[in-house]
Amino acid sequence: MFQLIDGDRPLDWERVYRDHVTSIYRLLYHKVGNQHDAEDLTSQVFLEALPRLRASASGGEIHMYLVTTARTVLAGHWRRRLGIQVTEIDENVVMAAEAQGPPTDPLPRIRRILAKLPANYRRVLELRFLERCSVGETATRMGISAGNARVVQYRALQRAAELGQEVGG
Amino acid sequence: MNRRIRRVSRWIDDLLHDRSPRGFRGAEEDTNVLAAAIELQSASPSAGLPDPQFVESLRQRIARETQGEVPRAPRLSRRTLLATGGFAAATAAAGIIVGERFAGPSKEQHELRPVGAAWTAVALVSDLPEGTARTFDTGSVRGFVVNRGGTIAALSGVCTHLGCLLQLNVAARRLDCPCHSAAFGFDGSVLFKHMPDSLPPLPLMESRIRDGHIEVLTV
Repeated sequence: MFQLIDGDRPLDWERVYRDHVTSIYRLLYHKVGNQHDAEDLTSQVFLEALPRLRASASGGEIHMYLVTTARTVLAGHWRRRLGIQVTEIDENVVMAAEAQGPPTDPLPRIRRILAKLPANYRRVLELRFLERCSVGETATRMGISAGNARVVQYRALQRAAELGQEVGG
Repeated sequence: MNRRIRRVSRWIDDLLHDRSPRGFRGAEEDTNVLAAAIELQSASPSAGLPDPQFVESLRQRIARETQGEVPRAPRLSRRTLLATGGFAAATAAAGIIVGERFAGPSKEQHELRPVGAAWTAVALVSDLPEGTARTFDTGSVRGFVVNRGGTIAALSGVCTHLGCLLQLNVAARRLDCPCHSAAFGFDGSVLFKHMPDSLPPLPLMESRIRDGHIEVLTV
């Protein structure tokens, strides 16, 4: 139950951890797309955020704080990996969007995006991401060269990104 | 261009094999491509749930590093703080107490200084007949006061799932979460939920009645 406690009482970190680890992990997984990075970043979030929670608020309020920490950790991750400086404006936009949390079921959105793609773009993404084909297999099944498959894949993702912004959540 | 396309494709191979993709110094426009790839990769229904072994090993790591106490973090520079745009607004809105290491002489950081708990009047007892609830918002805390059989209580207004703000559904006598179709009763219990995650009951906030006013303890 919610308790506003005095500042001297230590945080029940085990409980905070237990209540929030899944949602923070999921949020990060949806941003990096692989287990290894999601685990690494989740660890960073809890190790950095827990010491700063001096008194406990409600679960949702603590979640907001953890999400904020996750944004910082994620920004650092992309900066290191991609050399991208995440701007303050981007961060604000993302914060506002993520106050709502990641979608429970992202498939409807993905389906809407795929449906709007030209046939060969949709095909290459289905083969690569749904059927998990290699570039070589994808090329064979589409009757094109591997180099061409990579180009089509790149263009398809470019278009999917544009459509993603139009389609919204 | 061909090199970039080849690099993006290798990066996607890593992603599809659930490997941590290697560093990538691409053009800025490539980041949209990578983001779209991540979104597609993350869409599988089983994706995104943590491995129980990882959850337990991180718990042990936190316990080890804290030695039973909440660990001390390195001091954050003001620059780091400001670089994470929205931080002050988000924490202020969430009513979170943060450590004094955030407090400093600057105006921006002053907003984060904990001000201590205080009783705040949020509603008149006379405005809350039995079986009803009202929304309150103190600026730092949003919640509901409820009257169940003459007993008045205050509940957090934030969903325990992902922090969405709950909405009072007067007709159905419940608190609805607009994000993932969940609802809480006026006692904070979960009435229903449509998500696989466990959903803890809504926390109670400390409240009291003074001179006909319902007051809640806020930070």
